[in-house]
Amino acid sequence: MCETCGCGKPGEFTIRESSETAKRRNSENDHNHHEHMHEHDGHWHSHGQEESSEIKSDHHHGHEHGHDEHPHSHGDEANGHSHPQKKEIALNIDILSENNRLAERNRGYFEGKEVLCLNMMSSPGSGKTSILEKTILALRQTHKIFVIEGDQQTARDAERIEKSGAPAIQINTGSGCHLDANMIHLALKKLEVENRSILFIENVGNLVCPALFDLGETRRVVVISVTEGDDKPLKYPYMFQTSHLCIINKTDLLPYVDFSVENAMANAKQLNPELEFILMSARTGEGMQEWYEWLSKIS
Amino acid sequence: MHELSLATDVINLATEQAKKNGLVVITELRIEVGDLSGVEADAFQWALELLINDTMLNHADIYLIRSPGTGICQACHREFEMKNRLESCPNCASFPSEIRGGQEFRLLSIAGE
Repeated sequence: MCETCGCGKPGEFTIRESSETAKRRNSENDHNHHEHMHEHDGHWHSHGQEESSEIKSDHHHGHEHGHDEHPHSHGDEANGHSHPQKKEIALNIDILSENNRLAERNRGYFEGKEVLCLNMMSSPGSGKTSILEKTILALRQTHKIFVIEGDQQTARDAERIEKSGAPAIQINTGSGCHLDANMIHLALKKLEVENRSILFIENVGNLVCPALFDLGETRRVVVISVTEGDDKPLKYPYMFQTSHLCIINKTDLLPYVDFSVENAMANAKQLNPELEFILMSARTGEGMQEWYEWLSKIS
Repeated sequence: MHELSLATDVINLATEQAKKNGLVVITELRIEVGDLSGVEADAFQWALELLINDTMLNHADIYLIRSPGTGICQACHREFEMKNRLESCPNCASFPSEIRGGQEFRLLSIAGE
């Protein structure tokens, strides 16, 4: 979340229970500070990656990064301006480290409570919610199931899930394209997941960004459907490289599409030889039994 | 589009470090972006430029420092430059290779007054 000015964007997100009307967190701060993006005074500028490690600017001080943490001044005369007390601070901080730290905290929480947490990721419309609905209906007598739903807007998915009989909480990411560990951490405070349960996290429909953010999950599941291209794994390698299971959904439509299961599996295996596969049709029930067995194998 | 939220993280991180070190303004920001980090440098830069208004970084020079991807072939054990995650070994054409470098996404340094 944007802590600099209190504005919600783009880290703004809302956590809400599906049955409730939308309550937007920080709604009073829901202003947009990007409107004046071009109103700078012409002084600042940035330098593209093409400049690589070469410093090229009118602020050039002729040294590289990696220096010690000490204040020192620079040849002001060469630049025609002065930095009276300019300080350089070497940091070398992993930018995702905060997310990773929170993810490890979530992971510890799941381990302590013996919760099996699955991060379900896919493109929009590949059938994640339908798979979850069927799974909940089939397993609710024998397992405690909880769901965290991530979407940019609406509580529709959480409502669908609750109808199937599992407590669900909706995270609306607003303009955000993925869930992060902090959102999960906050959602867990509200969801009150029971010990020895299964927690499904349905990530925002997106094969790019969610792959980068560890949520603390036990396993990652990527869902693709046969109405997509069988070259999906090659187009989104990071997602397939970091997943444990690939569900190929909507197999009932195979006679009508050009999707080759063999090619899709070969493409994904090329990226991640350890990846497991389940062919599924949430609609007809094909592969569901295999999926339940996979869940019990890893729990 | 995770670049937007990553840019927010970087601004928060840099601001926090600047305050800790007694800076009032940040004039320079250096970030290492690996070719295989999953971060699109152009989009990230755009996001940063968009978000630094009204922050301590308003007048900062932003330097994105690219680090090339490198891989070690699991078959012939040679190291080579990997432009993307799908690249097979240029020596023996086998795949996959172990990624060694280029996954970095780090705030290297800040400078300010």
